[in-house]
Amino acid sequence: MPEIKTMTITPGRRMRNLLTNPKYLMVYATIGIFLLIYLFGALLYGGKGFTSVRTFMLFFSDNAYIGISAVGMTMVLITGGIDLSVAAVASLTGMIVAYGTTVLNAHPLVCIGAALLVGVGLGALMGACIQYLNVPPFITTLTGMFFARGVCSLISRESISIKHSLIDAMAGFKIYLTWPNAQGEWVKIKPVASIDLNIIAFILMIVLGAIILQKTRFGRNVYAIGGNEQSATLMGLPVARTKVLVYAFNGLCSVLAGISYMLYVKSGWNLSLQGAELDVISACVIGGVMLSGGVGYMIGTLFGVLLKATIPAIITFNGSMNSWWAKIFTSLLLLLFIIIQRAVIASSQRVKKKE
Amino acid sequence: MRKTMLSSAFIRSKLFWAIVAELLILLVGFILRPDFLSIQLRTLSDGTTVLFGTPVDIFNRASEITIIAMGMTLVIALGGTDISVGALVAVSGAIALKFLRWDVLVYTTPGDYTVKPYYLALLLPLMTCTLMGLFNGVLIGKLKLQPIIATLILMVGGRGIAQIVTNGKQFTTQYTPFKFIGNGSVLGIPVPILITLVVILAVVLFVRRTSFGMFVESVGINPNASRVSGLRSDTIIIIAYVLTGLLSGISGLIYSSRISSNDSNNAGLGYEMDAILAVVIGGTSMTGGKFSLLGTLVGSLIIRTITTLVLYFGVVSEAIMAFKALIIAVVIVLQSEPVRNAIAKQRSKRTALGGEARA
Repeated sequence: MPEIKTMTITPGRRMRNLLTNPKYLMVYATIGIFLLIYLFGALLYGGKGFTSVRTFMLFFSDNAYIGISAVGMTMVLITGGIDLSVAAVASLTGMIVAYGTTVLNAHPLVCIGAALLVGVGLGALMGACIQYLNVPPFITTLTGMFFARGVCSLISRESISIKHSLIDAMAGFKIYLTWPNAQGEWVKIKPVASIDLNIIAFILMIVLGAIILQKTRFGRNVYAIGGNEQSATLMGLPVARTKVLVYAFNGLCSVLAGISYMLYVKSGWNLSLQGAELDVISACVIGGVMLSGGVGYMIGTLFGVLLKATIPAIITFNGSMNSWWAKIFTSLLLLLFIIIQRAVIASSQRVKKKE
Repeated sequence: MRKTMLSSAFIRSKLFWAIVAELLILLVGFILRPDFLSIQLRTLSDGTTVLFGTPVDIFNRASEITIIAMGMTLVIALGGTDISVGALVAVSGAIALKFLRWDVLVYTTPGDYTVKPYYLALLLPLMTCTLMGLFNGVLIGKLKLQPIIATLILMVGGRGIAQIVTNGKQFTTQYTPFKFIGNGSVLGIPVPILITLVVILAVVLFVRRTSFGMFVESVGINPNASRVSGLRSDTIIIIAYVLTGLLSGISGLIYSSRISSNDSNNAGLGYEMDAILAVVIGGTSMTGGKFSLLGTLVGSLIIRTITTLVLYFGVVSEAIMAFKALIIAVVIVLQSEPVRNAIAKQRSKRTALGGEARA
């Protein structure tokens, strides 16, 4: 067996690579702009409690469902695909659990199991359709979205509230943040801030997604497919299996996002989360994931979600502005980010040409 | 010989399967409700005669999507997508109603109810939507941004703009010239159908009588080769998005005229999806290249026919999406490359065998 020469990676070289590699630039841009906007909010509304731990925790818990869904979406986008069905599947999850527990008197865990089966099954089916029938992802998942939304309405057209001790316990689960006071006793911080299940699930999913993408063979395959699907096939990578699995995993994330949203509103409604798939996609894009595939990091997505959360927060703290301005500012932010992306790609191409 | 080759190519084309699907759906409707296909002339209380019947209704209600889908066909043939059209529909309605309302405030007495420069109420929304289309086109054509993301900006921002124009209010109008666009009829034919026909004719003439259509296909098939051979691909892309913007504006006027009101939250909701589906069902590939405007018309009619058929059975309107999804899934699977190739292979095998037997 021929000996393979490997380049020794010194900590210094790794550090330099981490700072200058253009593929990380987008993530730095996201984190930088998040810090800037947060600072802006802090300067204007710091006195009103914008900088409190409570507000910061609310960024996470109010957007957990977007974040959880964004984990799966990031992977789909890295393969060069797209999934428009996520919000409809999340809404369907809420409907299944609400209808199951309230109308059919089933145990919530059974309903959640059924929802998982439906979500992952639909995801795998769409993945198979994209891979084996060559139907574009946009069209396949659009059909999936119509289907899931339609089934939601077939189940019920009215909002069904969920009343079950387990769901109440899950929604009410809170770890209050405490700190020692002058007497050395641990007391709740003021204003009261807590970590709930949604925040835990959000963070866990981001960490899980990052580990899958960076540390597993599956993750490498995902990047390879996004970089160039033909090359990946020629290299003998399991392209078909990976793609189907990515859509199935995204289905899982959609169901978890649906459960997270359900804990948040404690009901199921057939029209809930309408248009949320675009919130998820734009959070990923703001986080530096490229729709052409091959580029994206979970940490970027995390900050993309947080960045999208700060804008409505600032507008709420302002108090005098219409909530519609949030839409306009979000779209301006999107514009800014895709122009930065464009500039980064252009500059990295120039560097390549010079070499 | 030549004839058989042509017909087999036609059978392999997506347009053929789209027409078959539409006829099948109509047939199902006819079997279930024999009056499904009947058209009759009826005289309204005000003395005008109007065509009545489900086919007319299908065509009439499909006009908003059909008009947008004409522009969308070019955009998709160029390898792009425009998901901002729904928001542009909302913007168009908001500006028109704001303008009508604004004038009503100037002429406060009910008897003096004339909107003075009425054409401005139509021109302003159309101009705004054209400009928004230009914005999309410049981002995609000049800055080479990804179409989905570039148009996502206006999809998110457009509804915000529509809300700010009307300050979040919903205006209604009873101004007859404006209501005429969506509810009137000329010689018994509903005005939206006439507008749709004019738009289709104009787009077909523009695309097929000039070299524009060929340029679009060329850029869609290979943008680099087209650029190298001297085509100004960015200008072509910009024209396609500007046209889609303008057509969304027209569609928005029809929609808001139909409901005599503006509804920034719900106007045009999901139109981008329906329009894209219409184009794809009609046989234009999402990867760009050759396109079929006639196919798009058929695609749009399929979507509306499914909706009408399902509504006939008293299914709640929100649940229509599930049926739509199922039927569209069948159409898309039938149209997908592997399946079409398999069917064509089967046929050629059979004809080959038949030829042998005869010989």
